[in-house]
Amino acid sequence: MDSFTYVNIFETKGLEYLLLLCFWGLFVYLIRYLSSPAKKRKDSHR
Amino acid sequence: MMNTSATPIRTFGEFFPFLIQELKPRGPWLTPFNIISIPVILTGLVILVYRFIHGLGSVTNLTQDMPWGLWMGFDVITGVALAGGAYVITFVVYVMKVEKYQSIVRATVLNGLLAYTFYGGALLIDLGRPWNAPNPYIGNSFGFSSVLFLICWHFLLYMVAEFIEFSPVIAQWLHLEKARKFLKSLTLVTVVLGITLSILHQSGLGALFLMAKPKIHPLWWSPFIPILFFVSSIYAGLAMIIVEGTISHKVFRKLIEPKSHHSFDEMIFGLAKGAAIVMFVYYFFKALLFIHDKQWAMIVDGWGYWYLLEVIGFVLVPALMFAFGFKHRSLNIIKIAAVMALLGIVLNRLNVSVISFNWYADVHYFPSWQEIVVTLMVIFAELWVFRWFVTRMPVLSSEPRH
Repeated sequence: MDSFTYVNIFETKGLEYLLLLCFWGLFVYLIRYLSSPAKKRKDSHR
Repeated sequence: MMNTSATPIRTFGEFFPFLIQELKPRGPWLTPFNIISIPVILTGLVILVYRFIHGLGSVTNLTQDMPWGLWMGFDVITGVALAGGAYVITFVVYVMKVEKYQSIVRATVLNGLLAYTFYGGALLIDLGRPWNAPNPYIGNSFGFSSVLFLICWHFLLYMVAEFIEFSPVIAQWLHLEKARKFLKSLTLVTVVLGITLSILHQSGLGALFLMAKPKIHPLWWSPFIPILFFVSSIYAGLAMIIVEGTISHKVFRKLIEPKSHHSFDEMIFGLAKGAAIVMFVYYFFKALLFIHDKQWAMIVDGWGYWYLLEVIGFVLVPALMFAFGFKHRSLNIIKIAAVMALLGIVLNRLNVSVISFNWYADVHYFPSWQEIVVTLMVIFAELWVFRWFVTRMPVLSSEPRH
């Protein structure tokens, strides 16, 4: 019997869905990271 | 603070003596910038005279197979992306009403206006028959089906819109208060028009390459090039404002109000935050296209490494640096990230329009020294005119409230 891969994420666009999920997860993290209070100022002057 | 305003003009007859007076050079001549730029500009002008007498082939390495080189790829395609700051900042200030960026609007709009004038104008030196350039405007073969038709009209209309946006500064310089108030009342309309035009022609420049699918390396060609060009022009504009603003605050320190020095740091942090978010979105869009087109096999050769350098080294890394610099209040990291982002834009535009164009050819195009000198000439000439405006007109000072 031929081997059969039921879910090939390369063929089923699964990888694209995974990437989008990663994107939204990281995007929410980025927004939260940038919205939280800034850490101490290092080299800004004047 | 140095005063940029001249004596008020009371009659029309006083205008020309005033203008002649303003055109006279001020300040020391022997500056490093002048010493470098003057020979380059003079050499570039000689090359241009030679080019218009003997044709494009006499000074460029362009061929029938490679008709677009450095002049088109850098001056026009890249220069317009770097001028994206004007539509981004006017959107933020006049539409979103984020007032804290008000003090950089004038300089950014001037930068955009001059960039379009010089880099758009550079089209003329790259056209084999430049006398045909007015055709899309005067109706002698409109060419409705051409993307260049859209770009021609948008460049013209956008330059007019930017000139109107900048005109209150000229009126203020001439002490024409009524004219300034009238021109200022047109700002919102021209800003909305300018943003609309910018979105369309920034993406339109990308659309120019849609029909070149067989000639552009698959890693750089995508049916979404117009969207990629538009999104990248947003962060290119933000990075350009950071770099140009930082240099202006050093070079024209005496012309800037003391309070603006303090607020400029805060503006840089805000711009960095915006750039980090836009670059993050752009990076994932590139990644999505990469996966969708199943391009894994293409990243194992030189072209693939070059692509990864562009996308990871000059998009993802500066995006993370912008975010880190914003979070840790580090101006230095943000400024380095801005320079890297600009290099990334230059690399991307040159990759699409020049480097990966005819990527399969045995002999690759490399610009002649004349092409490089003329490109530097265009940049220096724009900087000269920018300096003239800034040292004569109230470009770096605040806008009157009334």
